[in-house]
Amino acid sequence: MHNGRKLWSIFGPVILAFVLVLVLFSLPIENKHSLKTEKQAAVSLSPVVFKNQSIKKQALSDKKANFVPFFGSSELRRMDRYHPSVMAARYHNYTPFLFGSRGTQSLPQFFNINSMENQMTDQKAVYIISPQWFTKQGVMAPAFKYYNGSYANLTWLQKANPKSPYDRYTARRLIALIGKDGTVGAAARKIADGESLNGWDRLVISTRINILQHEDALFSAFQINQNYQKYILPNIKKLPKKYNYQALYQDAVKTGDHDTTNNRFRVKNSFYTKRIKPHEKHLAGSQKHINYTKSPEYGDLEVVLNQFKNTNSNVLFVIPPVNAKWEKFTGMDMDMYYRTVDKIKFQLKEQGFNNVLDLSHDGGKTSFMEDTIHIGWAGWVKFDQATNNFISKKQPTPHYQLNDRFLSPEWRNLNPTPANLQKFKEQLNK
Amino acid sequence: MINWISSLPNFSAYGTPVYFFYLILALLPLGIGLYFGKRFSWYEALVSFVFIFLMFDGSSWQQGISLICYVIYETILVMFYSRYRKKQNGTGIFYLISALSILPLVIVKLSPAMVGHNSLLGFLGISYLTFRAVGTVIETRDGMIKEISPWKFIRFILFMPTITSGPIDRYRRFEKDYKKVPDRDQYLGMVSKGIFYLFLGFLYKFVIGYFFGQRFYPFFERLALGDNTAFSWHMLGVMYTYGFYLFFDFAGYSLFAVAISYFMGVKTPMNFNQPFKSKNIKEFWNRWHMSLSFWFRDYIFMRFVFMATKKRWFKNRNALSSTAYMLNMVLMGFWHGITWYYILYGFLHGIALVVNDWWLRYKRKHLKNLPHNKLTTGIAIFITFNFVMFTFLIFSGFLNTYFFS
Repeated sequence: MHNGRKLWSIFGPVILAFVLVLVLFSLPIENKHSLKTEKQAAVSLSPVVFKNQSIKKQALSDKKANFVPFFGSSELRRMDRYHPSVMAARYHNYTPFLFGSRGTQSLPQFFNINSMENQMTDQKAVYIISPQWFTKQGVMAPAFKYYNGSYANLTWLQKANPKSPYDRYTARRLIALIGKDGTVGAAARKIADGESLNGWDRLVISTRINILQHEDALFSAFQINQNYQKYILPNIKKLPKKYNYQALYQDAVKTGDHDTTNNRFRVKNSFYTKRIKPHEKHLAGSQKHINYTKSPEYGDLEVVLNQFKNTNSNVLFVIPPVNAKWEKFTGMDMDMYYRTVDKIKFQLKEQGFNNVLDLSHDGGKTSFMEDTIHIGWAGWVKFDQATNNFISKKQPTPHYQLNDRFLSPEWRNLNPTPANLQKFKEQLNK
Repeated sequence: MINWISSLPNFSAYGTPVYFFYLILALLPLGIGLYFGKRFSWYEALVSFVFIFLMFDGSSWQQGISLICYVIYETILVMFYSRYRKKQNGTGIFYLISALSILPLVIVKLSPAMVGHNSLLGFLGISYLTFRAVGTVIETRDGMIKEISPWKFIRFILFMPTITSGPIDRYRRFEKDYKKVPDRDQYLGMVSKGIFYLFLGFLYKFVIGYFFGQRFYPFFERLALGDNTAFSWHMLGVMYTYGFYLFFDFAGYSLFAVAISYFMGVKTPMNFNQPFKSKNIKEFWNRWHMSLSFWFRDYIFMRFVFMATKKRWFKNRNALSSTAYMLNMVLMGFWHGITWYYILYGFLHGIALVVNDWWLRYKRKHLKNLPHNKLTTGIAIFITFNFVMFTFLIFSGFLNTYFFS
């Protein structure tokens, strides 16, 4: 008995701790988030909201609040008073739910979108494609890892089909970016090789998803920042009560004009002072050799398109411009840039994605760009007009015809001259 | 075979909470045995083999092969020397064997600086294994190890809980623990302590270390890298967050190693003892990465002082100890790696030890009336802490990125 008590005093607390954790993680926890949390999450742009599922799923299922997902990258952080979240709060009957920050290119977005399939089904969405994503190596591994988590990967793996070329492609990309070790890596290797997951793999995956689900429900609401209070709320009242496109556009031009006075690129003063001025000398001609026409990003975009097709989502694609003065200074090859835009639009339109807002020629307009590559002020006003038109008006049902040739290295590495695109088109129709 | 091994999953030691679940489950029969006063050596060997295998399979399989070659090589050296030492005690042979046993580590450490890429000989934990091997050679020379067999030696240097990052044990101490199975009361005491260390380790590494390493440090790092001045306030943030991350991560890891050793009935020495409350730099090194600093103290510092005294290299005792401090710390800097910031880190700590000695002498002679109270102690702790944090900033390599790339 003496020893029994001793053993209990040593192991009792440990056993109790394990039992408590087990109980906590097996209780059917439904954490209802408040509308306030949802609204805060919608503009937080944080990796926590991006990687987890409970808040975004709840928000997008919330019929009353009418959240519409906006997928993009760093431009979404330019929260001036004409930002779509502010405009929508003032004038429209929907609220953008923003997904994206620097580095959330197509592949991280794919896992994000895939993890909320039910919420995306038959719904509208906005997807901003930056030509800057299409670099030679595509999304960088650290950025990918920052916005990607086991939760989304496992959710995808549970449904991944080893017979689908799209899923095999995604599995290969996943291995290339996060490595082949661990539960995710090992299962992804099987999918990439066209093998089905066995019962044990599925058991491990569903157990881990169960734990992550509980973690998500318990903790993710605690980690949302104050973007809503800091940048959205105070700006709403600064907008005039009545919506008038012309007046708003003129206003935005004036505001932008006022904030871009200390430099010849017409970028925001603070951006110039902090980010450009210290290295200005080295930046002249620095973008001469950039080429966006060949990139794994084209294949990554294709799996996103396939995802939209699977959920029958109706999506408005936006191609933002770049600052014309800045590109001239840094020597960007604008011919190459427009060929990139052509290639992206070709990939969209050939497969039935016909809602495309191409802003690529607006980069020289006054107050259209807040800095070198991000739209602001007048740019946002125009952006908001088009997205509102798309969301608020009834749209015809889309008819998508996906073609997995867009996953091939041949497409990825195609130099998109009109002749090459024409040739590729002929092959597609064969 | 290699294809098969490289396709297996890889589990680095103590990497995730789930790892502990598997490890403790595997060690359970061993613990039950010890509770009943029996050590199941064969079972222990099996579990150790499996877990070491899992550290070095998958994408690390090349390291696994290097590890096997390394252990064979060191075992041959130690066995040869042990046999030789029974008959003779030549200084030349001792130096030769010591040099040969350090050779793989020297090659591995020099490779990145000399040829630009990591040496194929390297594997995770090579320095810790080298410390144990060289220590064994020195103990043999001193006549403290009379009897050693290849099996016993391998069991010692490949002791699973401490293989990749210490603490660094000594052969004689380890073997004594190993031979003597603790009685039931002792063993239960060790298990209870082990559980406490394990959970303290969880708190250190997976909670506090996580926040410093994954949240606070990257936050300041990003801000600081956006600055273009020689000094920036954000850099102070980098310095403190990195310093705390380093401590909580490494101390947490060491606590795991000690805890698991205790479960296996071996009292591996502790590595940290509240280092940030040290009143001077000498005390700091008695509290920080203790198993390493004691190894250097016993086998570098003391040996040097002993030899220099015997051969009368120095007239002045202070000059002797200063030289020994510098040698000790600069060597430690080189051991971390051949980069300017590791070497500077060692150099600064050497200087600090010299200055500390000088200050203690000065205080004894000229400042007899200096009070010893909470305020002066506080100042001493403050200075020591901030000096240490500053040297960790250098150690982190952040300044290298900040200034040169």
